[in-house]
Amino acid sequence: MADNIVIMHNRNIKSVTNRQKAWGIVGMFFRYLFLIIVAIGVLFPFYWMIISSLKSMEEYRLTIPTFWPQHAMWSNYAAAFSTGNLGTLFKNTVLVGIVSTILSLVITVLSAFAFARLEFKGKNLLFGALLATMMIPGEMFTITNYITVVKFGWLNTYTALIVPFLVSVFYIYLLRQNFMQIPNELYLAAKVDGTSDLKYLWKVMIPLALPTLISITILKMMGAWNSYVWPRLVANDEVHQLVSNGLRSAFTDAGTNETNYPQQMAAVALVSLPLFLVFVFLRKYIMKGVSRSGIKG
Amino acid sequence: MKKALAIVMLLVIVVASMSIFVACDKKNGNAANFEVPVGGYDGSEITLRFYHTMGSNLTDVLNRYIESFNVLYPNIHIQHEQVGGYDDVRDKISTELTANNQPNLAYCYPDHVALYNMAKAVVQLDNLIDSKETVTRADGTTESLGLTQEQKDDFIKGYYEEGQQFGDEFMYTMPFSKSTEVLYYNKTFFDENNLTVPQTWDELEAVCRQIKQIDPNSIPLGYDSEANWFITMCEQLQSPYTSADESEHFLFNNQTNKDFVNRIRGWYNDGLVTTQTIYGAYTSGLFTDLTATSRSYMSIGSSAGATHQRPAKGEDGNYPFEVGIATIPQANVNNKKVISQGPSICIFNKSNKQEVVASWLFVKYLTTSVEFQAEFSMASGYVPVLKSVADNPVYSAFLNKADGGNNVAALSAKICMQQQDAYYTSPAFNGSSKARDEVGALLVKCLKGETDIDTAFKEALDECEYFVS
Amino acid sequence: MVDSKHQWKAWLYLAPALILLAIFTVWPIINTIRLAFLEGYSLQRALGGATFSVGFGNFEKVVQYQGFLTCLKNTVLLCVLTVPISTILALLIAVVLNSIGPLKRLLQTIYFLPYVTNSIAIGMVFATMFNMIGSFYGTENEIIETAGIINNIIMAFGGKPVNWINFGSSYWANMTVMVIYIVWNALPFKILILLGGLQSVNKQYYDAAKVDGTSKFRTMTRITVPLLSPMIAYVVITGFIGGFKEYTSIVGIFGDNMGPAGAKNSLNTMVGFIYQSLEGSHQGRASAAALILFAIILAVTIINLYVSKKKVHY
Repeated sequence: MADNIVIMHNRNIKSVTNRQKAWGIVGMFFRYLFLIIVAIGVLFPFYWMIISSLKSMEEYRLTIPTFWPQHAMWSNYAAAFSTGNLGTLFKNTVLVGIVSTILSLVITVLSAFAFARLEFKGKNLLFGALLATMMIPGEMFTITNYITVVKFGWLNTYTALIVPFLVSVFYIYLLRQNFMQIPNELYLAAKVDGTSDLKYLWKVMIPLALPTLISITILKMMGAWNSYVWPRLVANDEVHQLVSNGLRSAFTDAGTNETNYPQQMAAVALVSLPLFLVFVFLRKYIMKGVSRSGIKG
Repeated sequence: MKKALAIVMLLVIVVASMSIFVACDKKNGNAANFEVPVGGYDGSEITLRFYHTMGSNLTDVLNRYIESFNVLYPNIHIQHEQVGGYDDVRDKISTELTANNQPNLAYCYPDHVALYNMAKAVVQLDNLIDSKETVTRADGTTESLGLTQEQKDDFIKGYYEEGQQFGDEFMYTMPFSKSTEVLYYNKTFFDENNLTVPQTWDELEAVCRQIKQIDPNSIPLGYDSEANWFITMCEQLQSPYTSADESEHFLFNNQTNKDFVNRIRGWYNDGLVTTQTIYGAYTSGLFTDLTATSRSYMSIGSSAGATHQRPAKGEDGNYPFEVGIATIPQANVNNKKVISQGPSICIFNKSNKQEVVASWLFVKYLTTSVEFQAEFSMASGYVPVLKSVADNPVYSAFLNKADGGNNVAALSAKICMQQQDAYYTSPAFNGSSKARDEVGALLVKCLKGETDIDTAFKEALDECEYFVS
Repeated sequence: MVDSKHQWKAWLYLAPALILLAIFTVWPIINTIRLAFLEGYSLQRALGGATFSVGFGNFEKVVQYQGFLTCLKNTVLLCVLTVPISTILALLIAVVLNSIGPLKRLLQTIYFLPYVTNSIAIGMVFATMFNMIGSFYGTENEIIETAGIINNIIMAFGGKPVNWINFGSSYWANMTVMVIYIVWNALPFKILILLGGLQSVNKQYYDAAKVDGTSKFRTMTRITVPLLSPMIAYVVITGFIGGFKEYTSIVGIFGDNMGPAGAKNSLNTMVGFIYQSLEGSHQGRASAAALILFAIILAVTIINLYVSKKKVHY
């Protein structure tokens, strides 16, 4: 390949356009080389996670590592599932994710509708004030919310995991922008027909804003899957633990305090799998949502 | 006009939400010494919540004794829950306290009680212990609500007094089951090489150097808990560590302590010792794993973990080596000091006094029952808190079987019973567990050798003082 | 009439959001400021009946505390290192990616993959890649059983193994691991935004440059970067805001110890400091630290906006 390029290069040295073309090929080669090296860098941790998860503890501890497991220890996955209590962790996370997503969507749609379509006094001021709260780092809320949750007696309940972060000003903003693009005439026409607000919302606006709603759903679910700090503070008991919180310590043996890395990696792979699947099937929505939100989860 | 209206609306919402909080801001009952209701327990239906860290083998024992307790008190229902480790129990309760939602009973360490007492949440037991009330049980028999002199005297003194070390004269906890640190050694290896089990730190150093010559790849001693090492050294050398005295809690920054830390650093640099943090796992792993590149021949760890210090059986069905157990090395063999660990049990204040009395009856039942103490100790590897357990036929039979293989737990218990007078506990106050963490971290930091010892001590002291200030 | 009916309706629709926001957003802002100025406020003590005087005590305590200064240093350092590295790398990748034909979609998908991961979980993967198993690192009695794959690769190229994250590892080794992980994690979002920007850039600019025979480098600095400047400003600002809140990536690699064994909290960050203060029942100090963090983020964002106003070409 490289030789060919050199030959082509020599042969056409006098012709400027051909020279450019040759350089173009060399350039292309290096571009792909660069991109492939980056891709390897990006993928390597995933590869290492998967092969480590299939090794036996002895193989994992070999001084010279193997790049392909000698015997694929699928039993690590079963062990990871039971030791890590992943069943409960998954169930909790999915439950919290689904309930908070549904409630959050309802609240967001209603408020976005009010801000986009209804006229009331102080609308702009209120909207501006809400947007201003987006600037404040979450930790400022966490401190008092923790105290609040404690005082409401919500510690170690699903409520504590769901309710405090149901409303996202950002999602209201996002959806409002989307609703605003829908021509007002549609709404007025519906009014004339005597269609109720809610019916109009359900029949017209929601279908039109569906891509945004899907993006919000995915981001919200991913948020539940990835949240660590808040669950750790308010519901870190065995019954209510979410995946991120249960993961780190579960594979350290209580008797010896030694970590079973292959099982740990199997658990990590299991936790990553749902995210990966969501990504494969809903990539478009995720990327769209992310490029507008700029926040993880 | 619009703006004004919006602002008013916002204010209304804010004020409304604030008032919710003010309403919720009621305080836990300010507890002076608990006043025992006349007549003691009135037989009412009561459900007690009990947080602990017991594994399933221990809850089996507990459940049986709850059953027999319920024969006497059918209306007192015990819901017990394994919360996780000791720290998990502490964290859970300290958050529940803020919502006045604490359990009735919990496993505790002294520093946990100091923490709970910031909210004045733990019942002072003195009036219950001294109560002259008589309680009638379901089978028609009666018992004194308080402890009899006989019952008091049966407790091992060092354990019982642990309940009173909170800087005032009151008793806050009852000892539940106890453990300490012991020295495990590879008896087979020691016998083969004619090594003597070290009784002092000087002897320990000598033995370590001998072992290092025999097996240069070895790490002769693994000491699990850095914090225990530091605190025990202070106690053995009679050098100040902490005090429950408000004016100056942290006394560990002194020359004696720096000297012993420096000495341990020397051992580390010569490859003689390692600790849990440095090794990355309990050092029993080094002691028992025969396949690893390097191994240890001595291991200092919890007396309750004896079975973890025993190697796995070989293919021939025998243990590859015999475990020996001894008292940990001392600075002064005439004034032995070993740490007293293991849970005590405390009772939390409740507005319903009957709950407190019922809790006390249950605590009293477990801690003064020779049978329970014997069975629980055998199942857990912990040491009973009553002297008379040694005379219990089942327990003494258990001790008599002690060996360095199948019955290693009994061997450990036996050694612990022999050193009954050597137990010490450190003062408990808000910040005592911080001091414990810091001195442990300090020792590790000094072994690493990056920070010099003076700075490390100073930093640890600063951390402690920042925490309590 | 209709108007007032609408008013009533609008507030009804907004009610769930406003009630929740009042309790979990507005009240926290007020209360956190209040707690920051209650000296030594502790929830536990408050419940025990203690009262607290008003003053700057929490702020004084926090800023004089060595542990807090370490957190501040770590946070700033991580920001200053990771934001430029990830931005430049992402820009480079986006530009190159935009210039190729086949495999573009596939590579773009691959590059986005780290975004959809759980940062604690993948942090654990990075930790195993850098983890050594053995004892006595750095002494003559060193025993290494397993060096970790990164060290294996280094050794395959003739280098010496580095103690990255274990007992006795140096601060800069730890930092290197953190920077690698954070950049790995930050790239997808930045590539996505910058690539999106590139794709919307009018092709004519490039054709003009080609005709003029402008060099690749000049094209990049004179055309691409200026045209992309709004997106670059956006990823830099969000990068800094995210960087100042760095926390879970460190938990992923080092666990709650927030540093290698034997150096607890040596890599702790501002957010980590706030959570530790909460767990130690120092809510007053946690609030003070949160206000300081807010002030820093605000200042950095304003500076960023100011700079980009001067440099960004809209």
